[in-house]
Amino acid sequence: MEWSAGDGTAVLFGPSGSGKTLTLQCLAGLVRPDHGRIVVNGRTLLDTATGVNLAPQARRLGYVFQGYALFPHLSVAGNLAFGLRGRPRAERQARVQEVMARLGLAGLADRYPRELSGGQQQRVALGRALAPDPELVLLDEPLSALDAPLRRQLRDDLGAILSDWGKAAVLVTHDLPEAYQLATTVVVYANGRAVQSAPRTELLWQPASEAVARVMGIRNILRGTVVKADADSIQFRWRGQLLEGANSPSRCYLPEPGSAIAFYVRPEYVRLIRKDRGGPDALHHANLMSTTVVREADVGTVWTLCLRLDEPGPPAQGDYDLEVEVPKLVYEILEIPRDRRWQVSIHRGSIQVLPAA
Amino acid sequence: MSAEALQALWLSVKVAVVATAANAAIGIPLAYLLARRRFVGCHLLDLFVTLPLVLPPTVTGYYLIVLLGRRGWLGAPLYALTGWSIAFTWWAAVVAATIMAMPLIVRTARAAIESVNPAYEKAAFTLGRSEWRTALEVTLPLARRGLLAGLVLAFARALGEFGATLMLAGNIPGRTQTVPLAIYTAAQTGETGEALWLVIMLTALSCVVLVAANRLGGRAP
Repeated sequence: MEWSAGDGTAVLFGPSGSGKTLTLQCLAGLVRPDHGRIVVNGRTLLDTATGVNLAPQARRLGYVFQGYALFPHLSVAGNLAFGLRGRPRAERQARVQEVMARLGLAGLADRYPRELSGGQQQRVALGRALAPDPELVLLDEPLSALDAPLRRQLRDDLGAILSDWGKAAVLVTHDLPEAYQLATTVVVYANGRAVQSAPRTELLWQPASEAVARVMGIRNILRGTVVKADADSIQFRWRGQLLEGANSPSRCYLPEPGSAIAFYVRPEYVRLIRKDRGGPDALHHANLMSTTVVREADVGTVWTLCLRLDEPGPPAQGDYDLEVEVPKLVYEILEIPRDRRWQVSIHRGSIQVLPAA
Repeated sequence: MSAEALQALWLSVKVAVVATAANAAIGIPLAYLLARRRFVGCHLLDLFVTLPLVLPPTVTGYYLIVLLGRRGWLGAPLYALTGWSIAFTWWAAVVAATIMAMPLIVRTARAAIESVNPAYEKAAFTLGRSEWRTALEVTLPLARRGLLAGLVLAFARALGEFGATLMLAGNIPGRTQTVPLAIYTAAQTGETGEALWLVIMLTALSCVVLVAANRLGGRAP
């Protein structure tokens, strides 16, 4: 898998243990990969084919470690100046002052890391990496050490700092909203490999494969058998139903009839048919199915319903076939606790077909 | 207290101080190597450094004679070249005390260095520091409490060294007779009053040292 960050932020996204941090350590020269090539701004840092392998000291990359790894025996100023060794004293001091001012750390020069808040620690770690003016900044789970409310705010701060300093960055995270907010490009990792690299908007609406969709935590990933596929739509059979999904105009996918196909249905895009408004009609209610509510869960602002199709045979996802989200108000108006049998419909544009990996 | 006892006390302190300095210079780099590097023979080196902890001191002393005595592997060429032999000088007591205390400093310092989060060292590398500078500026300062505790223990061990010292340095009053040797001699010759003084002195000194080591080792860096 080849990917490039451009001048923005490339986010390596995936579950724990999928190789994201290892990629970062390879970039920094802390781990030597078996084979590969790393080029930053036209400078070759590693090329196993020609035997080039620069030491971490010579790579000029800033690294913000998970948990920050601020030197506990050095003050804020000492930490910030650590990467400036070899420069004249006056220049070092001026640079430390500048970094502290730009990151809102003024007045904290003599504090020690343990005396700082989580947010201040994060900014010192960023400042320490940015002070020597690196060509690229690497950030390993920069927000994972923080509590949820603080995390949100610091996510905004981090994005602002990175764009303000105009530094290309590679950031590792297992949090999808974080990846989505901070990324120019998202590289998705699964099972130790990079499986998709895409601009962030494209990724969210067009995962490249079932593996990517699973890593992203997409629900209702299902498998059917193709009946007919053309540039406009894909028809397939699933749990005894003939379903039809729109084919992607930008990335047309034409599997053979009879082949297996993976698709997903976003839980918030499944419609429950109201019983007080006349019967469903084929024009407005595509992909119509009869279901029974197996169980439900209150997940805050919405209810999640687990529906089973009124079809013989084992359900697709354990004891249910589809997960559906309904707003609380709808849940109450439709009296779902009392009425368990519902017809549902899925608009053909809401069925996303996943190309075979 | 007799002049001889005072001499023994002074000699003991002198030997322990020099042996501790030698241990700082040799033992801490050794501990760093064992903690942070994997190299051919590192297990063997670890074994050799630790051996004096479990061998009877007389056995260690015997090896030292074989190595450094006037007819020893190193001692003979040295004697042929300079006409000087380390055996039966106070330097012999320093060597014996250094070797006997080495396992304490190496093991304590190694544990302290291993407990330093490697992320700090990696951070120093990415900020342009060589491994040597990183050890001096990051690893050893962060392990300093453990290093000090190890040195204090090594000092205590050097102060109380008996067996190996007796083998290599002998028991010459005023020249190589340290406090433990003086106590042994006094007890053997029935000068129990003299022995009691030295016993109390050594016990008190050891208590101070142990308390110091505990306080250093107990607090987080």
